[in-house]
Amino acid sequence: MNSLPVNSVANSTVDSHNTADAVTMSGICKKFGQVVACDEVDIKLQHGKIHGILGENGAGKSTLMKILIGLHAPDAGEIRVNGTTQRFRDPGDARKLGISMVHQHFSLVPALKVWENVVLGDHQKVYLSSFWKVPQRALENALAGFRSNEKRTRQQISEISARYGLNVDPDTRVRDLPVGVRQRVEIIKCLRYDPKIMILDEPTSVLSPAESERIFSVLRQVVEEENRCLALVSHKLNEILAATDDITIMRQGKVVEHLATSEATAPMLARAMVGREVSLTLSLADIGGNTKKISGQEKIDSTGTKPALRIHNATVTDKNGHHLLDSLSLEVQKGEIVAVAGVEGNGQTALDHLLSSLLKLDSGYVEVDGEEVPTGVPGAFVKAGVGVISEDRHDTGCIMDMSLSENLYLSHPKDAVSGYAMMNRTAMSNKSTELINDYQITASGPDAPMWSLSGGNQQRVVLARELSHKPKVLLASQPTRGLDVGAVEYFLEQLRQAAKNGIAVLLVSHELEEILELAHRIVVIYNGKIVGEMSRQDIDMQRLGMLMGGISEAEISPVSDT
Amino acid sequence: MNQLSSRLQARWTWERWSYIAGLYLASIFAALILSALLVWATDGSWQDVFSAFIDGSLRNPGRWGLTIGYATPLLLVALGTIVAVRGGLINIGQEGQLYIGAAFCTYVVLRLGGPGPIVLIVALLAGATAGAIWAGIAAWLKYWRRVPEVLTTLLLVTVAAQLVGYGLKTTTLLLDRSPEHGNRNQISEQLAPGVRLPRVEIFGNSFPLSAFVALVMAVGLAVWLSRTTGGFRLTILGQNERLAQRVGISAPKYGTMALLASGAFAGLAGAMMLTGGDFGNYRLAPGFSGFFGWEGLLVALVARNHPLVAIPMAFVFGALRTGGGFLSATGVEREIANVTQALLVLALLVPAAVLYLQERRRQIATVEART
Repeated sequence: MNSLPVNSVANSTVDSHNTADAVTMSGICKKFGQVVACDEVDIKLQHGKIHGILGENGAGKSTLMKILIGLHAPDAGEIRVNGTTQRFRDPGDARKLGISMVHQHFSLVPALKVWENVVLGDHQKVYLSSFWKVPQRALENALAGFRSNEKRTRQQISEISARYGLNVDPDTRVRDLPVGVRQRVEIIKCLRYDPKIMILDEPTSVLSPAESERIFSVLRQVVEEENRCLALVSHKLNEILAATDDITIMRQGKVVEHLATSEATAPMLARAMVGREVSLTLSLADIGGNTKKISGQEKIDSTGTKPALRIHNATVTDKNGHHLLDSLSLEVQKGEIVAVAGVEGNGQTALDHLLSSLLKLDSGYVEVDGEEVPTGVPGAFVKAGVGVISEDRHDTGCIMDMSLSENLYLSHPKDAVSGYAMMNRTAMSNKSTELINDYQITASGPDAPMWSLSGGNQQRVVLARELSHKPKVLLASQPTRGLDVGAVEYFLEQLRQAAKNGIAVLLVSHELEEILELAHRIVVIYNGKIVGEMSRQDIDMQRLGMLMGGISEAEISPVSDT
Repeated sequence: MNQLSSRLQARWTWERWSYIAGLYLASIFAALILSALLVWATDGSWQDVFSAFIDGSLRNPGRWGLTIGYATPLLLVALGTIVAVRGGLINIGQEGQLYIGAAFCTYVVLRLGGPGPIVLIVALLAGATAGAIWAGIAAWLKYWRRVPEVLTTLLLVTVAAQLVGYGLKTTTLLLDRSPEHGNRNQISEQLAPGVRLPRVEIFGNSFPLSAFVALVMAVGLAVWLSRTTGGFRLTILGQNERLAQRVGISAPKYGTMALLASGAFAGLAGAMMLTGGDFGNYRLAPGFSGFFGWEGLLVALVARNHPLVAIPMAFVFGALRTGGGFLSATGVEREIANVTQALLVLALLVPAAVLYLQERRRQIATVEART
């Protein structure tokens, strides 16, 4: 065993379990009302291995993991940890056995420093336990604990950080950290308990490819050298293929397949996951510069016509003097799909906000169809014919407490008005039913509240709304984030169709596969600036990668000559 | 109704109606039991208390007319609250807006000459405008300096009280000039009969015409909120300010309008209380607002921000006031009578809260099950 300086929880003899199963869950069932989240699920996790749990949204992966950490009690089934049957009343029970989870959404307090965030969980424990036992000394204990913890925790964080090359400074405020580093803080939080069994729920959903790779190399080290057991929940095929040893595939609450990663291929996993063939136009192996599919796309002739969207020298500085956009210029022609590639946090969000009328430019301008559109003025871009699938649905995409039908009319309520200046609810319902069918939205009907829809269907509602108003320009910002393979394919097809119908499509995405599949032209964004451009015909993956990593064109040319 | 039903998701089936009715009945029944125990424990007779309560609010001659008279300002204030809440704003200064509205109305009535009906209408509009301006100060501070409207509306209540108090001490403003009220130093002249709101007389009960105005406004507001683009846009703003900005709903513009409307409702309530005759005998005096501004907030809360539900709720709260007035005659301690009343208010709040919590819990369960 390693010698982590930890307030050692359940520091049992791990070595003796080298070959034994760390966790065996058998016959697990869990229902929420009428919804069956887990149905007779069996799964085995082993020490020293990374076990991938793959499935679409709603397949029951997260529920299963929540059962394992004691957040939900199963309706039926048995959980064995290191060979002994366990019954968890709460997450504390699971933690005592060394089971720890890194959740999909960050649970960090932005205003606190890294080390403060790391001890937050402890405090509560100190506080509560001493509160029941010795009430009069509770506060005293908590304060004393806090002070003595400070130095130790910082040291601990530095140590963990150094050992795994995580590079986290315990004294930085979390709000100043980029998402990639925040994810590493979450992992430190988890590692500090010296868990025997770690669960990661979609750890890379907000990370760039480079960041993910880094996280996975750390995890590989953690698992192999220290013989821990790790469950990785994901719906990214390549991630599962690259990072795991064994795979369990779930669909609609059931396990459909167990297999070793060495035997798995991407198409096979995709098939098992969605239950049908998915045409992954570019599988993993193709990304290394293969251009055979790309030649199939026609080139858009842009000579002589004025662009549908033109952003010229857009510059915005936030109050800390940081450039959100730095003389960013780009043009999109009618019927063209231009993809903005880049590592997250390089101005993509600002671009989204700019075209959502939420951001006012310090200098530069935006033209739609040759007409300048005022920036930061409510509704200006909607009026100019710019549709936006925003990167955060909850922020500017839809309203969860309104009905599906109302959500379809958010941007153009006047369309629902007929006679006497009243909104015609029947007409709204009929039109909505039509859109529900056209866009294959799964919902109980036009009156279904938005929150009752799954994420993928909410996204379809947004797409349906934006396209049904026949925009001139469509900004699709991370349109497929968090969607399953089938839905991704559907969305990409819709965007392709939109371009065919003459809409200028601006696609902002962190998923290179998506960009390579769709774009007529790729521009690379770095630090709020467009740093490079390449047309579909001459995509050079190496160059693309370097541009995204912040290496300028000038630096690249000599490199590629050698 | 559409919006409400979609929000509750479950259809308005017979089961759902009876469930809600059952919830209210159980809650009120529990409050009555508790009240009875309390009265019994303090050597009172609970039969007397309940019968006095019904006598005061409904049974005795002229009482249900008075209950309607009390319900009217409550309903108007509640409507104002609902408008603000729909726009995502919290106006809790209705007590002050109402008082200011009544004061401006008084001033206009007493100082403006002309045919009665015209003076009356102008005075009512003046009251509404004054209430709107008073809420407008909060709106202006919010969008100019980002001062939260919860604070400003609340604090402006105190300012309103002082301001009107000053007006009532000053002969050039509101103080009665005739010598007959020389012994009271803060009271306005009585309104001339020609500028009072007509009263409706039915079966020995009478209430001012303003009751119908409030009723029409409640229905109008319900339609406006659920059937017009204006109401739809206001709701969007209340739900998500950033999305509103994207689709062209300017928060300062719509938010200010919502607060102005909210204040106007309260101001109108004050003006109608004054010209209606059930309060202060057509005279303005300190304490005129009589907590109607606060209680209107409760009505909106109990009605879960729906204008149509606010109608019966305003009536119930009016009845609690008129019925409460008779309790002292039963010989029960005043404090006990107040507790009884408070228990009944709670009994109305609990089902609303329970319904809200159940709905949220169901929502969370559905969302959780999916992930």
